[in-house]
Amino acid sequence: MRRALRAADVGTVLLKGGPARLPDDVPPRFKPGDLVVARNINPTGHTRLPRYARGRRGVVDRDHGVFVFADASAMGRGKKPQHLYSVRFGARELWGPQAAARDVVYIDLWDDHLDPG
Amino acid sequence: MNGIHDMGGMHGLGPIEREENEPVFHHAWERRAFALNMAAGFLGEWNIDMSRYAREQMPAAEYLATSYYEHWLWSLERLLVDKGLLTQAEIDARLAELRKRAVK
Repeated sequence: MRRALRAADVGTVLLKGGPARLPDDVPPRFKPGDLVVARNINPTGHTRLPRYARGRRGVVDRDHGVFVFADASAMGRGKKPQHLYSVRFGARELWGPQAAARDVVYIDLWDDHLDPG
Repeated sequence: MNGIHDMGGMHGLGPIEREENEPVFHHAWERRAFALNMAAGFLGEWNIDMSRYAREQMPAAEYLATSYYEHWLWSLERLLVDKGLLTQAEIDARLAELRKRAVK
């Protein structure tokens, strides 16, 4: 039988949300401070790696923990649990000399988006 | 996917409009479109990442010419049809009926 959301439960359900955090039992490939390079991937499916960051070098700023890998989950390929990081990219690394020297972009990226830089 | 949704860093899209006391919904239909998405999502036929991917399937020209909640509605229709919960014919028939009612 399909689940149904009853009007009386809407408040409770929405406050609870649908967390994507998973048990922290997968080893991280990177740690804060590590230099990384975003993979140059162009899948026809869903990816959370923006085009402008592909092939660019960044620094792992922090490790958020283990999360559902959205790229896999969107395609019905399960949760593929792995670490999610906040990765810092310099604006000039992304967009070249026209960008402001001190601007940076933080992008949340998973292990499968990154290689050692 | 290298779709129109991935527009970070693009030029020519104009300034971001900032509204004082911005309402959560700008039109009553947006509230309904959002609620429909929540209610249908709870059926458990798809997850949040699949619904994002569904929005990315919208044809590029249509995506740029429509608003945020129109994207939500478009992707909901697509998911409902893909999962066999509705047929396109059922959606079209209901639309025709509502149009007829609106004309009266």
